[in-house]
Amino acid sequence: MDELLERSQAETASSQALQDEDRILRRWTPMLLRTILVAATALLIVGLFLMARQAPGAYVARFKAVQAGKIYSRQPWLTMVGQAVAGDPRAIVTIGLMVLTLVPLARVAFCFLLFLRERDWLYVMFTAYVLFGLVLGVVLGRIG
Amino acid sequence: MLTVLGGLLALAVGAGFIGALSGLGGGVFIVPALVIVAHVPMYAAIGVSLISVVATSAGASVAFVRDGWTNLRVAMVLECATVSGAVGGAFLAGHIAPWILELLFALVMLQSAYFTVRKQDAELLPESDPLCARLKLDGHVPGDDGRPLHYGVRNLPGGGVLMVVAGITSGLLGIGSGALKVIAMDYVMHLPLKVSSATSNFMIGVTAGAGALVFLSRGAVAGSIAAPVALGVTVGALAGSRVLPHANVRALRAMFVVILVLIAIEMGWRALSGI
Repeated sequence: MDELLERSQAETASSQALQDEDRILRRWTPMLLRTILVAATALLIVGLFLMARQAPGAYVARFKAVQAGKIYSRQPWLTMVGQAVAGDPRAIVTIGLMVLTLVPLARVAFCFLLFLRERDWLYVMFTAYVLFGLVLGVVLGRIG
Repeated sequence: MLTVLGGLLALAVGAGFIGALSGLGGGVFIVPALVIVAHVPMYAAIGVSLISVVATSAGASVAFVRDGWTNLRVAMVLECATVSGAVGGAFLAGHIAPWILELLFALVMLQSAYFTVRKQDAELLPESDPLCARLKLDGHVPGDDGRPLHYGVRNLPGGGVLMVVAGITSGLLGIGSGALKVIAMDYVMHLPLKVSSATSNFMIGVTAGAGALVFLSRGAVAGSIAAPVALGVTVGALAGSRVLPHANVRALRAMFVVILVLIAIEMGWRALSGI
């Protein structure tokens, strides 16, 4: 009898966990991912439109510079945000690309929350490691 | 400006379309398109391509895990390996001579061609090995009669090692490394083909995202090229995935193998002749 009761409780808990998983994965994740994606796409399109309107010659010059091997263009993030707010198309495009990379980050963050809710500590650790790796990428890129 | 922008958009739409039809992803085609057709240096093409892989994956990922095929636990365990590899690979890409990158790219093209020919489904594994069982990596797939069929998983260390290689390849060459990921999960870990394909799609964005973050924070992504390419590849990939169900996949596969071998020859030639 006790064994039956225990099994029934375990099944209920498992079903609850599945429902939580379902809600997070099917409802909240697509909603947030779509919002980030739309924001990134809008920034990229606005940036390109402004480039075409304000300085089409500069766009071609920049393309030719990249062809010639002048690839690097690094600025402090705060400066870039300031430039984007002031309407600088290149800064808007770069921020759009950064927002785009938030999509995979958000997916991992959702999985982290999911495993945290399930108190599955082993997978919380795995997911935290992946998040750490993504942040490490930013740091390594800044170093060299 | 419109000529350059239009040209980049057309290249990207084409690469995304072929990438989706071949199942290899846009990255495999956008890097050679940028290097060979648009005369963009290899290193710049890699940064742009990583962004486009993230964009394509992001476009598809809105509905992720709804399919019921993605094994989230397998994805998370293996992402530890791919992200480590991708961050390392992207870091190294900035310090390696372009001709070596081009040569490596040619070799990966040949591997992709081989994968396109060899692609086949494996039988379901009834039980997981002890490590995979402990990590609860097994799952269920819908059977022919609609009832769920249980599958086991094996050889996580072997799959993990291949995933590190897939991650390094992704960060180093700007591709999604989907082919290597499927080989690791399908042949080495014995996951069903549809599960390994869906799980690989889920992982590609995160792996490429890790590499893209290194390039972006280094200031090595040419935004004026990456923006139209990311938009174009996503549109091409969406169109390709719409056409795919109505396409003659077997005939297309033969064509893709020829294209991949030709690209490998061109990239290999560029690397060795120092163009």
